[in-house]
Amino acid sequence: MSETIIETKGLLKNYKGRAAVKDLNLNIRKGEIYGFLGPNGAGKTTTIRLLLGLIAPSAGTIEIFGKDLRHEKMNILRKVGSLVESPSYYGHLTAIQNLEAIRRILNVPKSRISEVLDIVSLTGEEKRPVKGFSLGMKQRLGIASALLGNPELLILDEPTNGLDPSGIQEIRDLIKRMPQEHGITVLVSSHLLSEIELMANTVGILHQGSMVYQDSITNLQQRAAGEMRLVVSEPEMALSFVENRGYTGVLQNGTLCFTRMNDTTVAQLVKVLVEKGHAIYRVEERRQSLEEFFLQVVGGVSHD
Amino acid sequence: MIRRVMSADWLKIHGKGLWFLAGLGPLGLVAMQALNFGLRYDYIKQEYAMDLWGALLENISFFVPVALYLGSTLICSLMANIEHQTSSWKQLLALPISRVTVFSSKLLLCLILLTISCVLLSAGVMILGLVLGFGTDHIPYGEIVRIGLWPYGAALPILSLQLWLSLTFSNQAISVSFGLILSIVSLFSIYLPEWVPLVWPYLAWNSLQPMFYSIFGILLGMLLLLPGALHFARKDVI
Repeated sequence: MSETIIETKGLLKNYKGRAAVKDLNLNIRKGEIYGFLGPNGAGKTTTIRLLLGLIAPSAGTIEIFGKDLRHEKMNILRKVGSLVESPSYYGHLTAIQNLEAIRRILNVPKSRISEVLDIVSLTGEEKRPVKGFSLGMKQRLGIASALLGNPELLILDEPTNGLDPSGIQEIRDLIKRMPQEHGITVLVSSHLLSEIELMANTVGILHQGSMVYQDSITNLQQRAAGEMRLVVSEPEMALSFVENRGYTGVLQNGTLCFTRMNDTTVAQLVKVLVEKGHAIYRVEERRQSLEEFFLQVVGGVSHD
Repeated sequence: MIRRVMSADWLKIHGKGLWFLAGLGPLGLVAMQALNFGLRYDYIKQEYAMDLWGALLENISFFVPVALYLGSTLICSLMANIEHQTSSWKQLLALPISRVTVFSSKLLLCLILLTISCVLLSAGVMILGLVLGFGTDHIPYGEIVRIGLWPYGAALPILSLQLWLSLTFSNQAISVSFGLILSIVSLFSIYLPEWVPLVWPYLAWNSLQPMFYSIFGILLGMLLLLPGALHFARKDVI
C-alpha cells in the first residue's frame, strides 16, 4: 500500500459560531491527484488554509507526511507548494523578481527559477512587470512559485478559475504531469465536476463543510452516469423489439432512453439493433449535472 | 533565516517609493529651515547672534516629532500594503518560515529606513548650517547627532503601534488615518502631560533630561512589539 501523505481526523473550523468545516477526515495517498470538489462556500478553501497552517483548526488533527502540523509546521511546509485562491503576486516586480523573492526565502539554487518558468511555459515573459500579465499568466506564475521549492505535495486551490479553455487545458496537462514526472502528490480543488473528472484519480466531495463522498473517480463516474440515449430509425419498433429482449427503456421525443448501463450492455444493445436493420444515428450518454449529482449525494445526509 | 526573509523584503520594496519617502522626510525638514533662515536671515542673525547653530537646531526640533510620526505611519503602511495588495500573505505565510521572522523582518526594514532618514536629517542640518555660513568654529556635533537619534528612540512606541495596525488591517485607511491623527496631536505636545508617550519625541529634545525620554520610548516600543508580534503569529490568514 502506498503511504499516506495527508491525513486529517475530525477536523473542525468555526467562524463566528458557524462551522465552515466540520468533522473532516481526509486521506490522501502518495502519487495521487486528489480532486476536492464542492460548490462555492462548501469549505474547500478553508480546508486548504487549514492544511497550510494559515488558519488554526478549532478541533481535530492534521498530519502531513506523517507529522503533526502543529508541532512540525516548518518541516512540513518545506515540502509543500501551494496556490490558494486568487494568485498572489507582487505586481510591480517582474516574474523573475517575484520568483526571486520566494527563492531567497526557500534558499533553493537560482537555476530553479528558469526551470519552473520553463515548466509553466512563461519563458519569454519573465522580464515584464507582473501587473501587465493576463489572469492565465498570473495563475501560471502562481503555479511556478508553488513548484519553486521542489515540493513533494502540491496544493492548488481552483487553479483553473477564470481561465480560457486553452489555459484550462494547459494547466490540466501540467497538473496531470506532476505525479508522473516529478512524483508529486497533488491536491486540487474545483467547483466543476467535469474539471476534476479530467484530472483526478480520487475525489472528495464537500458540502456545507462536511465530506459527503470520497471515492475513486471511476466509481464516481459510474454513480454519476446518467442515461443512455439512442437515436435510431423506426424508434417505436426498435423499443418494442429491445424490450422483448429484456432491456427497459422509454421513448422520449423519438429518442430511446435507457437507464445507466455498462460498456458491454451498450455494445450488445447496439449490436442487436443493427442486426435487426435499424439505422443508428446517435448513441449518447446524458451525464448528470453536478447539481443533480449533488442533490443525489447530499440527499443522504441529514441536516441538523 | 531572518537575513533571507529580509533580502526578499528588500527586493519587494524596490520601486514602491519607500526609499524616496525615507529621503524626502529629512530633506523636507531641512528645506523648510533653509527657507525660514533664507527669508529672515538678517533678523535671525541679529536675534540669535550668540548661538546660530542652536537657533537652527531649535527651529528644526519643533517639526522632528511630527515628521517621525508621519514617516513611521507611511513607511509601515507602504511596506504592509505590498503584501495586502494582492493578498500575498497567504503565499508568504505558507512558506517554511515562522511568522515571527516575517514580522521581525518587516520591523527591521522599517527601522533601517527610519534610521537612514534620521542620519540624513543630522547630515542635512550640518550642511545647511555650513551653507548659511554659521562657521566651523563652534559646530555642535553632539547636538546635531542628538537631534537625529533621540527623538527617533522616543518615537518607537508609535512605530510599534503603526506596524501592528498596518500589518493587521488590510484596509490601510485605518492605520494611515490613525497615524495622521497622532501626528497632528503631536504638534500640540507642549500642552500635553509628560507621561503621554506621544509627547516623548518632543521631550527627547526639549527637556532637562532628554535622554530619559528616548530610553523610555525604546523600552515601551519593545514592550508594545510583543503583543503585536504574538497576535500576528497567531491570527488566521484569510
